[in-house]
Amino acid sequence: MEDLSTNTLHHDPMLFYRKKRDSMKRPVQQKYNILGFISSGTYGRVYKAQSLDEDGKIHAIKKFKPDKEGDVITYTGISQSAIREMALNREINHENVVALKEVILEDKSIYMVFDYAEHDFLQVIHHHSQTLRFPITTPVLKSLIYQLINGVIYLHSCHILHRDLKPANILITSNGVVKIGDLGLARLIYEPLQPLFAGDKVVVTIWYRAPELLMGAKHYNKAIDCWAVGCVIAELASLRPIFKGEEAKLDSKKNVPFQKDQLLRIFEVLGTPDEKDWPGLVHMPEFANMKRLERSHYRLHEWCQSRIRSQQGYDLLQQLFLYDPDKRITAKEAIQHPWFLEDPLPTWNAFQSVPLHQIPPHRRIAHDDAPSMMAPQNTQMNGPGAPFAPGQPQTQNQGQSKPGSSTSFASGMSVGGAVYVPQQANNVGHNHSRKKARLN
Amino acid sequence: MATDFWASSHYKRWIVDRATLAQAREEDLTYAGSQEILDFLGIYFANIISKLGKKLNLRQRVIATATVFFRRFYLKNSYCETDPFLVIAACCYVAAKAEESPVHIKTVVQEARHVFGQDQYNVKNFPSDNTKLAEMEFYLVDDLECDLTVFHPYRTLLALCKKETLQFGVGGDLLDAGDLGVGMGPDDGPRYWGTGEGRLELSENALQMAWFIINDSYRSNLCLLYPPHLIAIAAIYLTLVLNPSAQATINHLLPSSSANNAAESSPHSTEEPGTVVASSSHFQSNAHANTTPRRSSRQSSQTQTPTQSSQAQDPTSSLEKQDPIEFLANLNVSLSLISTISQELISLYTLWDRYREEGVVTSTTGANNNASTSDGGSTLSGSSGSHGSRGGGGNRSPMDSLAGSGQGAGNEGSPGFPGVGGVVGLAGGGLEGKIVTPAFLSRVLLRMREARLLGGGNTGPAVNRMVENVKGI
Repeated sequence: MEDLSTNTLHHDPMLFYRKKRDSMKRPVQQKYNILGFISSGTYGRVYKAQSLDEDGKIHAIKKFKPDKEGDVITYTGISQSAIREMALNREINHENVVALKEVILEDKSIYMVFDYAEHDFLQVIHHHSQTLRFPITTPVLKSLIYQLINGVIYLHSCHILHRDLKPANILITSNGVVKIGDLGLARLIYEPLQPLFAGDKVVVTIWYRAPELLMGAKHYNKAIDCWAVGCVIAELASLRPIFKGEEAKLDSKKNVPFQKDQLLRIFEVLGTPDEKDWPGLVHMPEFANMKRLERSHYRLHEWCQSRIRSQQGYDLLQQLFLYDPDKRITAKEAIQHPWFLEDPLPTWNAFQSVPLHQIPPHRRIAHDDAPSMMAPQNTQMNGPGAPFAPGQPQTQNQGQSKPGSSTSFASGMSVGGAVYVPQQANNVGHNHSRKKARLN
Repeated sequence: MATDFWASSHYKRWIVDRATLAQAREEDLTYAGSQEILDFLGIYFANIISKLGKKLNLRQRVIATATVFFRRFYLKNSYCETDPFLVIAACCYVAAKAEESPVHIKTVVQEARHVFGQDQYNVKNFPSDNTKLAEMEFYLVDDLECDLTVFHPYRTLLALCKKETLQFGVGGDLLDAGDLGVGMGPDDGPRYWGTGEGRLELSENALQMAWFIINDSYRSNLCLLYPPHLIAIAAIYLTLVLNPSAQATINHLLPSSSANNAAESSPHSTEEPGTVVASSSHFQSNAHANTTPRRSSRQSSQTQTPTQSSQAQDPTSSLEKQDPIEFLANLNVSLSLISTISQELISLYTLWDRYREEGVVTSTTGANNNASTSDGGSTLSGSSGSHGSRGGGGNRSPMDSLAGSGQGAGNEGSPGFPGVGGVVGLAGGGLEGKIVTPAFLSRVLLRMREARLLGGGNTGPAVNRMVENVKGI
């Protein structure tokens, strides 16, 4: 007996602790019925699931990829990104930010259970460009943006930088309420112990990345999120990314390269910046590189004429696209912009003005054919909580949501049906370039 | 969230009452035999976290977060049923990530093996395999319920106080500036508190002392019992009565007679701070109760009169114009709570006085310290080891900061209060006011864990035998 205890103390001191803890746990599978697979990315995969509690609520479960050594799943330490996402989500609570219901740590995997959102900005954009073939109407556009900014104000008031705002990360519930999602790259900027750039060399997906980041700024602030909001507004209005640059890849030493193409795309619309617009420009590490680029003229006003169709709308966009981060409009100021005071006014149900048949289809989910620790138990789609709207074509998995095809919460999903096919081809490169480089 | 404590997980889920604390330690208590041993273990573990944290180059705030994680974990678990060393390593590892200054898991394993392998801890079997630590992290985060954002008193301290003559800017620059980060940006909008208006001005070493008192507070369970801003205010209060230059700012406000009789009231003689009724006048007299013994002990063991020296050092008239007592009263917090917390801090120092790290017993200022060296344990000398080690490790204590103002370094021999150590020791039972070392506690801990594994609840005899042998250490 003495030997046994000494042995346990020496070789597996946490044996009893683990046994006790494990026995107290209710496994994920006993809490949720997995309805299907939504998307996947570098972090892992997202599933649609129904709570087995009485409420039977639908959730999105983000399962972080377990670490593997060969084929054996093992513990290697929780990623910084998962720690952030857990830590931040546990503290926040806002109508326009996706709510975390719980985190389940089980069998070497982390499951984050979020409230489910039926749509996202990228899907709405696709729906309009591929199916409806007309622009998002102003009432919807304005409502989506108003709520997005409202969510950003909250995050910023909590001193959280999102650092990855883009259409695929901004969700919408079936009630037309915007929910900002994916805080995997977000972080607290209140009293940081280290400068922000020390942690993550590259932040924000390239098309939404602010000029100060592209210019190699060592310090940045909330203004980078505001730039991304501008990009999202422009994309909603035109149904395509406004600055669709090619990302220069990191070299073998993981140095961050000069993002020439992305800057050129920006300059083409906003003109080449000068010291007058942005006094800090000359101190930017990439200033010399930038000087060598071909010069362009400002044509945002022209760009907006056919797309935003409102002088006030143009003015808001122009203020979000100011080169100097210190002059750029803040989220708090943006929500007070006169554009939101002129007709049509934003609504809390962004789809309020949309005829039923024009509402974007429900999120497609696929059956998970890849081996997974969380194999779907119920593949019956028409049970309670069936994910499809009545009358919506229910196509089988067409492969566009195969693992690894996208990086974000929802960009792997798509609208169903044949209309999607051209987009799908598009989507391959699309997803590729959307991939954000993570260095840690 | 970062600014709103009242909406935080820290406030909503992790401030507990004493009954919860007692319940959490119930099993440990049966194996340890006395509450005092558990209190010493609280100091012991916090010191180890601090040591490992320093080896890992973690900032003070990260170490504080790791300590809070450790204490929260043991709200749900007992020392004897787990491996506290593995938990400590995991706490440091997670805290580093949660505070955005990550350390590689390999480094943590290496340094943990090094620190824990020291003779006084004698942990020779810390797993060299990363996966063991990673596994512990996993369970730890689960037990912490993923609440990884922790508030600390440092921020309140700097919101309420500033260094004298420093008109603008964050006071943190004179401390470890990086411990608080770079401060608020200009884009944070209007603020209604912490604007810098009306901050209490403290001399540099007084501010530093308050900072160190906050560091020290993590040796106790205060971080589980009270919101951080109250701990900060208690630290300011203690600084006002303990720090010579700060004393100067309140002395002229107090009737001089109170200083004489206050010594008898001996506020820290009770382990039940709740019994102290702190009306505002009591608060003031307490201030002197604490001051007097400190001052006298200082005067007896040191060569200078602190009040004089501080006045010489700090001729600032601005310090004299302010009224720190009114300042505290106007903070609109319960002064009786502040008093309770202050009592607990004093009790902690009293206990800590008897905690001695090996290898640092030799005084750096032996001449000043003749009264307190080489004793068997029941006098006040314990401070030499503990504070010396803190000074040496870079974790400076309030007493060290006093030392820095010309009072002798490292081994001032006066953080305790004459006559008190013995009282507490008797009350605690078993140890009878003896000096306790990490090596002793390491053995107690091992016994507790072995006994727990054997399933018997009765280790009283074993621990008692060890207690008998304390003198042999």
